[in-house]
Amino acid sequence: MKIGNVEVKVSNISIAVFVFFTISLILASQFSPEVRSNLIWMIPALFMLLVIPVALNYMSRSQYADLEPEYEREARTVRVKLINENMMGKVVRIEGVVERVHFQFLNRPQFIVADRSGAISVKMFTSPDDNIKVNDVVVVLGQVIRRFIVTGEPVINCVSIRKKNAPAASEK
Amino acid sequence: MQIYENKYHDTQDRAGMSSSEVTIPSDRNRQRLLEFAIPLFSFGATLAGVLLWQMGFEINFQFFAIGCVIGSCLLAYLAWIRPKKDIVALSTPIYAFIFFVVPTDYISGLTLQLLYAASLTLLLVRLKYRFGLSHTAVSLGKELAAPIKSYVEQTRDAVTGISPETAHRVAVVISQFSTGEYGEAARAASTVPGRSEELTGDPMLVRALEIVHEHAILLEQSLSRPETYRTFLPEDESLLAKPLLPTYSEDRKFDAMLDNALLYLFSAAWHGAETDRPHLLACQGFLLKLLGE
Repeated sequence: MKIGNVEVKVSNISIAVFVFFTISLILASQFSPEVRSNLIWMIPALFMLLVIPVALNYMSRSQYADLEPEYEREARTVRVKLINENMMGKVVRIEGVVERVHFQFLNRPQFIVADRSGAISVKMFTSPDDNIKVNDVVVVLGQVIRRFIVTGEPVINCVSIRKKNAPAASEK
Repeated sequence: MQIYENKYHDTQDRAGMSSSEVTIPSDRNRQRLLEFAIPLFSFGATLAGVLLWQMGFEINFQFFAIGCVIGSCLLAYLAWIRPKKDIVALSTPIYAFIFFVVPTDYISGLTLQLLYAASLTLLLVRLKYRFGLSHTAVSLGKELAAPIKSYVEQTRDAVTGISPETAHRVAVVISQFSTGEYGEAARAASTVPGRSEELTGDPMLVRALEIVHEHAILLEQSLSRPETYRTFLPEDESLLAKPLLPTYSEDRKFDAMLDNALLYLFSAAWHGAETDRPHLLACQGFLLKLLGE
């Protein structure tokens, strides 16, 4: 679904929750007159289960899209091995192969990206533009942060991850 | 696609620590005691409760969950003092509160406490085997890790001729490079060879600075490997931390030049600028990664 220039993606979990409660509401309204009398607020509430994730996704993706050109300007292309604890807050660009993908179904994907020098976790707090899969060669743009904000090893808080040779959001 | 074929080889990079690092003996004993205390408190308090009930003292069984709560706090502490954090072990005190804040009767309380104590024990084993050693003098930045110490000793004779001022400038280069300030690192590296009369005694140091300077400029401008680039000479090979294997691709050779140059500069700064050692220790995590530890 596209709102303005932003491609909005709803997570499978949100859709599953919406479907589950829709079916539950249909069944409950068949058997309970009390439920039927409350449908006037239950149906809008049901739609809010879909509207809220869409709105949140739209907001985060449009924010990330705004940040991307700024990060593009600031980022230095580095090898994974050069990323270390002294680089917290630095904006970097890495190129590598996706080794693993976690939590994509939650729209909070975490990738393990490896280049010839090492591997690093790349965390994203919204869905990426491209459908990134294992073994894709990608370009990652993001900021070096600690895994648990105040502690833990360096990871990349990703603003953009796209397949290599795919155009940047600002070029689309 | 060629550059991605040879993915990382340094598996210990992920563990973030060298196997040669050892915990300080007194800390190790204290931690061993804490490790024993976790199952002891968690199972012990519940078993004490069972004994008291058998003897006819029917105290609210919820109170005996205190052992599980203490065990959770100890486990969270052990997780906290490790460089690699285990979020599951860290959050066990919260779960202990959630599980045991509600009053329960004897049978359900006993079952819950025993299951919880068993889970804590499993999490302790997981913490020990999957999250490595606790902080050491090395990870706390108080001393050099064994692989770096060994390299620094190996190159001592080659780098002892430089003055403290030059060594300080070299330390600045390493510090700027490790923080990702590549422009600054390039500028700092280019100012050191100005003192050529001193550096002619150590041409390898000059070469190392030139290599770091070249790489810093390329990184600052996000440029890839040029066709021709600065390298060490064959006579420098005995002093390189990472020997260049003939099987290396051109890209790996290029990367290894930088790793070797930074490690050699580290050794020079370590021996020449004692006052900069705290700053150099702060960079050693980065240097260990370069060494592949």
